[in-house]
Amino acid sequence: MNGASMDDLALLIPELILVSTALGFILAARRIENAHMATAGTIFAALSAASASVWLVSDSARTAFGGMFIVDGYSQFFKVLIGAALALTALVSERRIDVESVRPAEYHALLLLASTGMMFAASAFDLLTLYLGLELTTLCSYILVGITVERPKSNEAAIKYFLLGSFASALFLYGVSLTFGATGDTGFATVALAVSENTLRNNAVLLAAMSLIGAGLAFKIAAVPFHAWAPDAYEGASAPVAAFLAAASKAAGLAALGRVALDAFASPSGIASGFLIGLAALSISVGSILAVSQTDMKRLLAYSSIAHAGYALLGFISGTTEGASATMTYAFLYVFMTLGAFGVVIALGKRGESLDGYQGLAAQRPGTAALMLLFLLSLTGIPPTAGFVAKFVVIQSVVSTGHWMLAVLAVVCTVVTAFVYLRVAVLMYMKEPQTPEEPARFPTAVSAALAIAALVTVLGGILPGPLTRWTDSALAAKSATSISRNVDR
Amino acid sequence: MTSGSEYVGIAVSFLLAAGITGAMVVLASTLGRKRPSLAKSGPFESGKEPFSLPRGKLAIKFYLTAILFILFDVELVFLYPWAVVFRELGMVGVAEMAVFLGILMVGYVYAWDSGALKWQ
Repeated sequence: MNGASMDDLALLIPELILVSTALGFILAARRIENAHMATAGTIFAALSAASASVWLVSDSARTAFGGMFIVDGYSQFFKVLIGAALALTALVSERRIDVESVRPAEYHALLLLASTGMMFAASAFDLLTLYLGLELTTLCSYILVGITVERPKSNEAAIKYFLLGSFASALFLYGVSLTFGATGDTGFATVALAVSENTLRNNAVLLAAMSLIGAGLAFKIAAVPFHAWAPDAYEGASAPVAAFLAAASKAAGLAALGRVALDAFASPSGIASGFLIGLAALSISVGSILAVSQTDMKRLLAYSSIAHAGYALLGFISGTTEGASATMTYAFLYVFMTLGAFGVVIALGKRGESLDGYQGLAAQRPGTAALMLLFLLSLTGIPPTAGFVAKFVVIQSVVSTGHWMLAVLAVVCTVVTAFVYLRVAVLMYMKEPQTPEEPARFPTAVSAALAIAALVTVLGGILPGPLTRWTDSALAAKSATSISRNVDR
Repeated sequence: MTSGSEYVGIAVSFLLAAGITGAMVVLASTLGRKRPSLAKSGPFESGKEPFSLPRGKLAIKFYLTAILFILFDVELVFLYPWAVVFRELGMVGVAEMAVFLGILMVGYVYAWDSGALKWQ
């Protein structure tokens, strides 16, 4: 490895776009007073990064930096998704930036850097680059959660998130060091080779390494039992930040978990899937049940996101490309519906944060209530919304591998979450208004974000074909290259 | 050079350190005059009150300066390993370090611009 060549750097173009925009924002932090300008810059960077990652992918996967970094269909899919989530978050942030005295350039620079880390993690093909990407993301997330310094609750949330997050990072690193001890390398290809040679069952060190790395990654997607930070962090953070954590951060965590489970620790004995089954079953049941008693809307959405993390994991259990494709479909649709639900919370301002604020919303703001209903139905998984398609594909993938109990649990918990989400709908449509009508109109940017999220939620439910074709083709390129790589060795 | 001999120097410095400090303690307690006072017999805490409740206020500027120092100090440690191998790395290495220092400077300019370096 003799430094980085230009070819290696070319593969980093999406990340470089985000980083240079962020650095520009940091340099001009005190000069950029206008939130619209910062938003426009972030959206432009997000869209160019997403299109750059589309443009970069050829038929086969390409690796860079001595095999530590990979650009393939899988990474491309998640980079586009992260770019979209970043752009939507920038749009919904419009309202809050004015209200809460946060410097727009600093806020957007942190969003951009966090997204850079996510994209880097999606492309990581080595445990250390994966750690680097995830750590960049979480470091920026800590600051974003605590960015509204005047609110003590925000500070408290940031400290809690930071303490638990550092613990999770330490676990992950410990797992990486054990992996290095057991296999002599941290690259996914070598780890996969070592795992296929000696079965995980007989290698205690490798088994411990896998569990520790899995625990660290499960923290990032807030899967039970590593979920405790999420409700507090979401509640304390300002709503757009919570939306960003719930959507983009979760997508990146899933990308990383998928890569590790399928490329590095995929063993014929199915130990990785056993681990995933436990995480998924716990997340689905605990997330759904705890969401029932919430009275704060952001906490409710936090528990819902925990349950959704469990559903998304269902696809990875089979260890096949079909399963991974199901999880990717789930992640894509989940990002848009959860950003939509958070978007309504943000648009309603203070009123949207507590469950009581939704009483009689339909009479006062029929349009907003209808949008919220759409996102809630989609989060529940009721046809013809995107949420149904998402749940259908992951449960189908679980059934096809013969885990009937898990499929039954997933369906039963959907009924529990239906109660959670439809309670909000009942409040909106069947109660008298408690809060006086606020005449304020939503900013155009927030309305635009809501429109995009609603469009994807509807289209994804009616016409899921293009999306599933995309995930299938992304993985087709991936499986072909991993086979060829193993043959090379 | 055999593998054991390079540790002899460390052992010698250990012995010297133990010998000199031990001699100082012994000499001071045997030869020195003893005039005990309240301040002298209290526990030594570098001029701080040894036992106090954490109620007092500490100006944020100390914390800010310290954290900035640690940040840039730790980042600049990367210059040392780079300096050892920079001939082998050639122009690519110079460019990489320029990018690294450039990003570091962005942070420095930001701290400066935000008034973190003002002692107020």
